[in-house]
Amino acid sequence: MELQKRMRDFDAADIRVYALSYDEADALRDFRAAHGITYTLLSDPDSAVIRSFGILNTLIDPNDHPWYGIPYPGAIVMDAEGAITHKFFDGNLAVRAGPEQLLWAALGQPPLEPEVDRVAAPRDVRVSVALDGDHLAFTVQRDLVVRFSVPAGRHVYAEPAPPGSVAVEVTLDENRRLVQRPIVRPASEPHVLAGTGESFQVHHGVFELRLPLAVNGFSRSDAAGLMISGEVRWQCCDDEVCDLPTSQRFELTVPVSEPVPHALRDKRAATAEPNAHAHFRRMSERRTGPG
Amino acid sequence: MQPELETRGTRTEKGWRDHDGFVGPRQPGTGPRSDPRGGFPTGPDVGDAMPDVRCLTADAALFDLHAHRAGRPAVFVFYRSAVW
Repeated sequence: MELQKRMRDFDAADIRVYALSYDEADALRDFRAAHGITYTLLSDPDSAVIRSFGILNTLIDPNDHPWYGIPYPGAIVMDAEGAITHKFFDGNLAVRAGPEQLLWAALGQPPLEPEVDRVAAPRDVRVSVALDGDHLAFTVQRDLVVRFSVPAGRHVYAEPAPPGSVAVEVTLDENRRLVQRPIVRPASEPHVLAGTGESFQVHHGVFELRLPLAVNGFSRSDAAGLMISGEVRWQCCDDEVCDLPTSQRFELTVPVSEPVPHALRDKRAATAEPNAHAHFRRMSERRTGPG
Repeated sequence: MQPELETRGTRTEKGWRDHDGFVGPRQPGTGPRSDPRGGFPTGPDVGDAMPDVRCLTADAALFDLHAHRAGRPAVFVFYRSAVW
């Protein structure tokens, strides 16, 4: 349903979106109608496709109905030739890739425009922090994007930094509401010092680090937004001079969307999906028969 | 590969809280909360050709992934259920 909010963008970029589950086709039709889904829903009631990908959740006992048959959920992004370019799978089965993450991957990680307004401090690195997306949602990941703009002729250290130096890093303040995952770093380039021949990894120009975030719940106070705060560190050098390590605090407040009520647990939602309980009952029975 | 089962969880007034702070009625390590701990299979690798997928659509029509996407890039999502 979070995915549906961005379907206009996928359609505009002519990117197809498919979602497969072990649900029966008629259950998918009801779901599609209730939530206005326009991407293609696929039915794999025997988990044949899920097995063929080798991603059946084998931690669930085959007799544990109705849960048996689900995959380790995730998303696969492919290019026009059908080659897999990105995969998003998370060990916490509640956590999923957000639509902006999938769009960014499917667009081939669009190149970044250089910043031109650099007159004020031509030797300074500029850092900006923003969420890729207009809100956070329960279980759905969106990236906190930390964008660097490094002046021409200079670089910042990438991982691993030389001994005694600092690689670019983003650290969030403690926040029990946020679920964060390892930061996605751009490819770094080797930099060889002319004098010594010493080589290390650096970033140049405009680049982004992306920190995947989701919220693990919803509370009334979220109506005012959730504050995300932390610190970015880096060390900038050219061939002659290395600045001292620098840090910059950031703080932003992002809206949090209320979870969509579920038809199995909410009476009002059930009016939009009157067959929900029947579908669930059938899932429980379909491998064992009634009773 | 049989992954290890993730069972870390704390009982709270509102239900079971897992290690990421998600609270639900079921204890981590049971039923739909059968999460892997550590590595688990995620299918073909980045760089591989996406295998074809043949199954039924929501309208019970035959579906063939590569024929359907017809040379367009695509996102293919595996999720648990639209019912629960």
